[in-house]
Amino acid sequence: MSDRFDSLFGQTLAILFALGLGALVILTVDESPVRVFLTLLNGAFGSPERIAGTLLQTTPILICGIAACISFRGGLFNIGIEGQLFMGGFWATWVGFSFNLPPALHLLLAMAAAVIAGMAWIAIPAFFRARYKTNEVVSTILANYVAILFTSYLTINWFKRSGGQSETPPIFESAYLPELFSFSRLNWGLIIGLALAVGVYLFFTRTARGYAVSEMGANPKFAEYGGIDIKKQTFLVLIASGAVGGLAGGVEALGVHHRFMEGFAPGFGFDGVIAALLANGNPIGTIFTALFFGALRSGSLLLEVDTTASREIITVIQALIILAVSAQITIRRKASDSTAGERRWKF
Amino acid sequence: MEVLERLLNVTLVIATIRTTAPILLVALGGSFTTKAGIFNIGLEGQMLVGAFFAVIGTIATGSPWLGVLCGIAAALTLALIFALLVVSFKANEVVVGLALNILAGGLTVSLMKAIFGTRGSIFGHGLVGLPALKLPNVKDLGWFGQMISGYTPLVYAAFILVPVLILFYNRTRLGLYIRVVGEKPEAAEALGISITRIRYVSSLLCGLLAGLAGAHLALGYTTMFTENMSSGRGFMAVAILIFSNGDPLKILLGCLLFGFSDALSLRLQTLGISSYLVLAVPYLVALFALFALSYRSRPRVIQETLASMGRALSVKSNTIKPAAATDASKP
Repeated sequence: MSDRFDSLFGQTLAILFALGLGALVILTVDESPVRVFLTLLNGAFGSPERIAGTLLQTTPILICGIAACISFRGGLFNIGIEGQLFMGGFWATWVGFSFNLPPALHLLLAMAAAVIAGMAWIAIPAFFRARYKTNEVVSTILANYVAILFTSYLTINWFKRSGGQSETPPIFESAYLPELFSFSRLNWGLIIGLALAVGVYLFFTRTARGYAVSEMGANPKFAEYGGIDIKKQTFLVLIASGAVGGLAGGVEALGVHHRFMEGFAPGFGFDGVIAALLANGNPIGTIFTALFFGALRSGSLLLEVDTTASREIITVIQALIILAVSAQITIRRKASDSTAGERRWKF
Repeated sequence: MEVLERLLNVTLVIATIRTTAPILLVALGGSFTTKAGIFNIGLEGQMLVGAFFAVIGTIATGSPWLGVLCGIAAALTLALIFALLVVSFKANEVVVGLALNILAGGLTVSLMKAIFGTRGSIFGHGLVGLPALKLPNVKDLGWFGQMISGYTPLVYAAFILVPVLILFYNRTRLGLYIRVVGEKPEAAEALGISITRIRYVSSLLCGLLAGLAGAHLALGYTTMFTENMSSGRGFMAVAILIFSNGDPLKILLGCLLFGFSDALSLRLQTLGISSYLVLAVPYLVALFALFALSYRSRPRVIQETLASMGRALSVKSNTIKPAAATDASKP
């Protein structure tokens, strides 16, 4: 218990340190840090609409964060969630506008398309990682660029709405993910995300399968001696991670935009990765870190209106937090045990 | 046939050399960290701040050369933070590298907005690029002369650095130390080489070249800064580093492959192929090369390097104290 408290204390200290550094950065761009933080807070929680807006931003970050958690638990880095999200979003939209089906079935099929698209998009990097240990960090990052360009290509060259912007036709209402309140686009995606977080948490803590994945993440050699088929499990973990990444795109397309367009959901995949890192790969913790980043994002919309700072300042703050926490975790580990230097990540 | 002729000619070679240079510079930078046993995914961000501050420095001083220095200084700062967290604090190198990339992206856009009040790109404001270098007497060489003359200085620097780095790794003490630290940290420890110091030096050398690559991107390759203008070149460089294992000659070959696919894809655009597909070509080439080469070359590279280190050091592995091995950060 005191260990957990210690960790929470350290984490908070690291975040405060990062916020302090962030304040310095804000000073260099000629703004008052206090004003920026207050504006962020007001923009994120100032009214019921704004709170709903924050939760709306939190949803994709949370689902992407869970996707990241799944891979982190297995000791793998799926940094390609952004690409899986784009593929999932596009193919969910495609099912949404290409077919006219009964409501529940249509939504279900569109969601399934998103999940399959996400899995398909990570399948090749996952196969090579499992079979030949090809570095998945680089392959999934590069796949992001391809996914974003490819979905733009499909949108503009094949499915562009006639007379419209660079976007597909809208999906049928039968594929809409229902909204939660009348005053916001906040939808059932949030509930899906929360349920998924709990489900994945229970999977890792309560099932033998989940334990085997954590084992592989903590000590792959030991797991292998323990009789776990590392290759198969590596593949499955990455595929599962990709499936959730695709789902995030489906939720965003079917719940928020109801179409697919260029620049669809920018940066949610990366925010999810950071949220999962900050939560140390814990899906329940990711709920809170995703909320934190969702609030920063939603607050930053007001930031551009009310101050001279740009909304990218929140990206700087996020990065500083991750740097501070990454150093802090290792400092703590160094103090407590002797295997401080052990790193699994190498070529 | 006509199509082929339109695609393959001297101008394509020139275009290839132009597009190869930025990625070659950043990949050669990454070779230092790769050889020292550090996985540096932060090249992208170092390149980006290099480009941004090169532009800022040029606008502030009026001299593109001072701009280049500013770009290098900015990239070195990022490299120093990377080294501090990864080497001294032993933080996870993937996490730190990614965070620094995100930091670079956010910082450059924020500063762009704060300084110029715009977002998107910076040009004008008295921004001047590096001058093109006309080699003397190349007129007599005909098309070959055309091919080797008229680039900005950092293009030449990139290609000259390849043999320089080969000599550096094979003929200098520091180069040898870097390789030992990367391949056999326990041996390095046994020989009394400070792993920490060597890894710091490698990280900073890497930052130096990554900054140069960024400066070239903003002052040589183009004369402007645009949001996220490194556009994945740093990640492609990491892909090259993985299958080249940091060897300068293999890096050159890998970069030429990318430069060629980049130049060719620009040509394909003129044939009416969608620009979205064309822009994806270099990334697809990177992925394909990564997948195709990573499993075949791996065991051989390890064998080769172990053999060469054995010769270079004449240290038998059984003489290494087990105590030294426990502190090595690389298994």
